[in-house]
Amino acid sequence: MSPVKTYFSDVFMGLWTAMVGMSITLKYLFSKPVTEMYPDVKPKTPTRYRGLHVFEEEKCIGCYVCAKACPVDCIEIGVVRKGKEIKITKFDIDYQKCMFCDLCCEPCPAHCIHMGPEFERASFTRSGTILQFATPKELSEDEKKIEKVARK
Amino acid sequence: MNELARFLPTFLEGFNLSLPQNLVPVVAMFLCGSIVAAAMGLSAAVLVWAERKLAGHFQCRLGPVYVGGKFGWLQSIADGIKLFLKEDIIPTDADRPLFRLAPYLAVIGVLAAFVAFPISEHLLVADLNIGIFFILAVLTVEVFGVILAGWASNNKWSLLGAMRAAAQMVSSEIPMGLAILLPVMTAESLSLKTIVADQSGGILKWYVFQPPFFMAVAFLIFFVAGLASLKRSPFDLPEAESELTAGFHTEYSGMRFSFFFMAEYAGMLLVSGLAALLYLGGWHGILPGQSGVEWFLLKTSFLLFVMIWIRWTLPRLRIDQVVYVGWKVMTPFALVCVLGQAAAVHFRGG
Ligand code: SF4
Ligand code: SF4
Repeated sequence: MSPVKTYFSDVFMGLWTAMVGMSITLKYLFSKPVTEMYPDVKPKTPTRYRGLHVFEEEKCIGCYVCAKACPVDCIEIGVVRKGKEIKITKFDIDYQKCMFCDLCCEPCPAHCIHMGPEFERASFTRSGTILQFATPKELSEDEKKIEKVARK
Repeated sequence: MNELARFLPTFLEGFNLSLPQNLVPVVAMFLCGSIVAAAMGLSAAVLVWAERKLAGHFQCRLGPVYVGGKFGWLQSIADGIKLFLKEDIIPTDADRPLFRLAPYLAVIGVLAAFVAFPISEHLLVADLNIGIFFILAVLTVEVFGVILAGWASNNKWSLLGAMRAAAQMVSSEIPMGLAILLPVMTAESLSLKTIVADQSGGILKWYVFQPPFFMAVAFLIFFVAGLASLKRSPFDLPEAESELTAGFHTEYSGMRFSFFFMAEYAGMLLVSGLAALLYLGGWHGILPGQSGVEWFLLKTSFLLFVMIWIRWTLPRLRIDQVVYVGWKVMTPFALVCVLGQAAAVHFRGG
């Protein structure tokens, strides 16, 4: 192309490309914003979201399989076993360590531990991040003797 | 109501304030200045809010939402209070008097320009017979403020920003002046009121739509050169954040910084308003006979919207590209337009 032609085509292209760009941004102006108004409006987590665990205490058989499966050993379980009766005295998950990997939920024989939709449990203390899932129970003297607490 | 500058002295005399006779014009002038400054500050605040809101939506965000209820419409007030409470820092090695003077120069240039700026046929401070020339002349004071700020900060980023501002202003002010020459030639007047009056009678009488369409090109040149002289994106090289931290106002904080900020936004208002007055028929409506402030505000706000739209679309140019656009594209095109329009006016006049 001759320099004169290049000059005019450059000027034209400068204006034209600016207009194309502006038409694209105009489309964005009228599209729906993607902002989530988080603390005001809670976001809906997806169905298979890996949030804080959900524990069904009445189904648990205290077999420690979940604690063994956990790669970072953050589940601590306390069980009292008297014949057929099983009392879960402690089921603590230390969320300072937990990496929400779902490995504890898969092997559970009783299907009683799941990954839930909740995620807001920030805390100002270290102890506040250890969640206790078992309901607190009064233990008799001999129950205390046979209670096994372990983090395997 | 007519011109504020004529109206206020008579208005004050009507009150029998027992002011000494020669003090009345001074008080009137002071009042005029305050009214203009308040209007400028208020519209700059609204503009800052609009810019942030629109910027958000251009990027699929929401922009400010909390301050003052649903749309965050008090955001600029909150920003203003924040800037007011900030520590005022002057670097030890800075040139103190110049450093202090610079932000005032930037604001005063724009403020003075507003004095000759008509909003409608009856709403104006003073109808100068050289209105447009006066506005162009005092607007250049703003760039002195910028250059002084860069020099007095004793900081290499500031100095580079100021040098860019100077180079950019020289290359944009000439096509801008040439583009203004067209409406002036056609209306045969430098007074903005006369120029607008010449465009009355419907949309086809507006200068942009006048054949042989030299004015349409001039409008485009005026707008782009206006963006460049305002240091608005894509010509925001003097304050290019990624290269120069904040350019000429790197060392400024608090109120001094907000003066530069206000000068920029008031300047936007001024350039959009001028474009509306010179090319888009000012306060005349689309149909013949329609006229009023609302038309002028509508046109100005549309042009302001386009400015914001451009800012959130185009990336920043390089300094050599800016100077190229100024000298090698806009200036020759503006010269051709001036010659063409001069011929058109000559033959029209017969
Ligand atoms: S999710 Fe992973 S890290 Fe967390 S408790 Fe279960 S196995 Fe351990
Ligand atoms: S694997 Fe299931 S049943 Fe076994 S201790 Fe863990 S939660 Fe309870």
